[in-house]
Amino acid sequence: MSRPGPSPASTAPEQAMLQVKDLVKAYRADGATSWAVRHVDLRVDRGEFVAIMGPSGAGKSTLLHLLGGLDRPDSGQIWLDGRRVDDLPESRWAVLRRRSIGFVFQFSNLVSNMTAADNVELPALLAGTPPRQARERREELLTELGLEHKARSTPAALSGGEQQRVALARALINEPSLLLADEPTGSLDSRNTRDVLRLLSRCHERGQTILLVTHDARVASTADRVISLFDGEIADDSAVSLPANGGGTVADVVQLKG
Amino acid sequence: MRAVLRWEFADLRAHRGQAALMVLVTAVITVSLILANALLQNAGNPWQRTFGQSNGAHLWLHVRPGVDTAPLARLDGVAAVAGPYRTAPSTLVRSAEKVPLELRAVGPALPKVSRPLMRSGRWLDPSVSNGVVLESSFARSMWAAAGDSVTVRGLDGATHTMRVLGVADTADQGAYPNWTPGLGWVLPSTLGRIEPDPSHTAQTVGLRLRDPATTDFTAQQAVTALGSDQVTMVSTWQQVRSSMNLDNRLLGLLLAVFGLVALLAAALAVAGAAGSRVLAQVRDIAMLKAVGFTPAQLVRMFLYEHSALAVVGIVLGTAAASGIGPLLPSPLGEAMTFWQAQPDHLGALLATGVGAVLTIALATALPAWRAGRVPAVPTVRADRPVRRMSLLARLALLLRLPPALVLGARDAFYRPLRAGLTIARLAIPMLMITVALGSWATLDGFRDHPERVGLAATLTAKPSGIDAASASRLLSRQAGVAAAYPGVELQALVPGQTTTITVRGLGTVARPYPFALAEGRGIQDTDEAVAGQGALDQMHVKVGQWVRVMTGGTPRILHIVGRSIEPDHNGEMLSVGMEALEGPVGLPQPQYYALVLRPGASPSGVRAGLLAASHNQLDVQLTTNPADQLGAVRGVVIGLVVVLALIGLAELVTATGSGLRDHIRDLAVLRAMGLTPRQVTAVIVTSTSLLTTVAVLAGTAVGVLVSDRLINLQGHASGVGAGIAQMPPLGTLLLAGTIAVVVAACVSVVPAARATRARVTTALSQF
Repeated sequence: MSRPGPSPASTAPEQAMLQVKDLVKAYRADGATSWAVRHVDLRVDRGEFVAIMGPSGAGKSTLLHLLGGLDRPDSGQIWLDGRRVDDLPESRWAVLRRRSIGFVFQFSNLVSNMTAADNVELPALLAGTPPRQARERREELLTELGLEHKARSTPAALSGGEQQRVALARALINEPSLLLADEPTGSLDSRNTRDVLRLLSRCHERGQTILLVTHDARVASTADRVISLFDGEIADDSAVSLPANGGGTVADVVQLKG
Repeated sequence: MRAVLRWEFADLRAHRGQAALMVLVTAVITVSLILANALLQNAGNPWQRTFGQSNGAHLWLHVRPGVDTAPLARLDGVAAVAGPYRTAPSTLVRSAEKVPLELRAVGPALPKVSRPLMRSGRWLDPSVSNGVVLESSFARSMWAAAGDSVTVRGLDGATHTMRVLGVADTADQGAYPNWTPGLGWVLPSTLGRIEPDPSHTAQTVGLRLRDPATTDFTAQQAVTALGSDQVTMVSTWQQVRSSMNLDNRLLGLLLAVFGLVALLAAALAVAGAAGSRVLAQVRDIAMLKAVGFTPAQLVRMFLYEHSALAVVGIVLGTAAASGIGPLLPSPLGEAMTFWQAQPDHLGALLATGVGAVLTIALATALPAWRAGRVPAVPTVRADRPVRRMSLLARLALLLRLPPALVLGARDAFYRPLRAGLTIARLAIPMLMITVALGSWATLDGFRDHPERVGLAATLTAKPSGIDAASASRLLSRQAGVAAAYPGVELQALVPGQTTTITVRGLGTVARPYPFALAEGRGIQDTDEAVAGQGALDQMHVKVGQWVRVMTGGTPRILHIVGRSIEPDHNGEMLSVGMEALEGPVGLPQPQYYALVLRPGASPSGVRAGLLAASHNQLDVQLTTNPADQLGAVRGVVIGLVVVLALIGLAELVTATGSGLRDHIRDLAVLRAMGLTPRQVTAVIVTSTSLLTTVAVLAGTAVGVLVSDRLINLQGHASGVGAGIAQMPPLGTLLLAGTIAVVVAACVSVVPAARATRARVTTALSQF
């Protein structure tokens, strides 16, 4: 069923950012096996913005977790930037994540005890960035997201949209080549959704590769390419065609459709 | 590292109350361990130091006058001999007080073996014919210093004014008043003047041995060489050392045991708190992994955080102990001052600190490892097996008990294993508090019911210048005196044994002294005796056996019919009726009378009355109560109860936190179903209070058993004998338990209220 996807947005597909071969993940509970990811083959080129869609339980989040090394596949291969990574030990994955992969989740995105500023700076410090540089970068990002006045707030004092934007800032502080976002707008209202998507498209413009899991078609339409997952298998993989006038921004899309 | 530090500071900020509590607990535990160390060091060291510096003798023999002691030098294993010195018994008179003092005749040159160590003044000088050098603990007790004049009375009743030339330390005998009589060195000519009758003098010989371990064997050889009827008393270096150290060692041991148990309890508390923290932060930990923390980094993070708290506590505790320790009342202050002057004290401080940090780090290791194992993808918890409501719960609902109460009870024991662990951790501090209260009650027992611990007589009266008949008459006329029992004490050699024990004739067979009997029965015949634990241990016998002792050259065979509690002389006391000591010239003259007072009579009033009636010819002394010397123990007990209460509090915070986390979703569901916020709070408070109640009951029950055993074991080891332990009063236990439960309820109210305030939807969406 699955097949390597086309790469309409990529112009130089000599080396894929991410390549997955025959990826399998199953969960066993009470003697029954449920397949979360079934023999998935996937290729994402550098700078591509890919949306993964599908109904609940289709295996979208599991696939994202496998790609970020948060979970282990039962079988199959994952190649990141030309390196095989599926057999890396957990600690190597951790180092890889802090340098090259940014994560955004739907809920509980922030470390609850730390302020927004600390949350954003944490991955930078972890990657060895000098504290002053980390602070400057964090200030830049939070300003860009309109959160400069919330730097000292704890997650509990932030609204859902603010938390999500802080999480995005944290995912972006190390300028990872790959951004994995698991329903980042799932719990947000349309205004916050628009802000988050605007930021994502800005990252895309800068050349970052983005994999976005969503079950919202409007959100998916901001991507270059949409992959539909059903029962752990890729059911469809197609490029998104922009409106005829072209050149519109992601925000325009949301406004048009929303 | 910076990222790790950033997280740790944030975490500490979020849990500052718990962190401060742990720092405080570690600090107080460190103080108690350091004080224990100081006391134990102090307990061993003075004797060691004095013995080494004075080139002390291991074995001392008191021999009848005129006996040739030359064979002793030829015994195997004897390296050097001190003496023989002539000695004479005398009395030092201070106002109405008469204190026994042994004078020892030594030349103007300091002896090579067992050389008195001058602490002040100078050694004997032929130009001062009435000069005396006093042993330091005796001099301190008599408030005598170099240059003072003292009055000494010989056996013939003549008084001599002596000049104290100096004060010296010695390892020949223990510290006064644990060891009597006191010791004074005089020139042979001075001794001759005070005691002109050579038959009233004795000889003392000290033997320095090549191997201290052969002391017992050499003692037997020495007694055989001189003839057992010629030796009146044998003492060994072990006896001297234990008499010097008894009080401090007991206190030191008490502190050390409590300190170590408290450290273990604290380690458990830390482990519980850290474990609960890991469970509470599963999502945060998963998030940290997602941003790139390695499992090893997470393990280190938890280890560092708790070890850092321990280090802060230990540094604070060490600073407090070093700064305030020397200012504490005796013996703690003295012990700290002495210990700080020791060259190895920094090493011991370091070892205590490192040991405590390692214990805490070890306790954190398991929860830290679990933190490293938390999956990077927060998994939805597997549904717990749903159990049907118990019969009891259904019955409770049927009886229309408040639903909050029933749900709270169900919550408390829903996870039996976790509930059991929580109960066990809360029960340990309660157990130790019960033991501490038991020690306190035992001290109260010594003070309030001295007759139950072998201190029936409040006063002792020694005739001095009047005969026994008039003394007896005076005593019987004195108001407030319920009974006066004649007493005499002799040193006895036990054949085959190496040391002497005291045989005490006290009371008569017809009118026996009210001994505090822990085993067997009282004296009913002239060949019957009761013995203290120390004496039984020394003679290796049990109640019911027969022993042969040698007093004043007369062999006596005695049947030990009971064990009496003996707080004095390390329990090395064999008591008989006066008739048992009857010699060829009839009953011995009483040396003193033990006075049992009527209830309510004032000891000082009776003492003043007797002194006046006898024109100071009766020397009346208050019996020393060991509880008075152990006053510092009370301070220690209070301190320990505070530490243990703090540990208990830390455990409660953990228990409430983890209980709440387990049930937060259930509570949200209950609120969604219509429980009022107050009912939700009641559910949580009921759950914590119930667990605490069970823990308090279990801790107290085990504590009472352990306390009884421990105190009696200590009593046995110190020679006083088992049977001194008192149970803490029921009221005190009830109060302690009630306080614990009330505090538990109060501690759980705050998080309960927070849970009540949380939005139902938020709580539900977290899982």
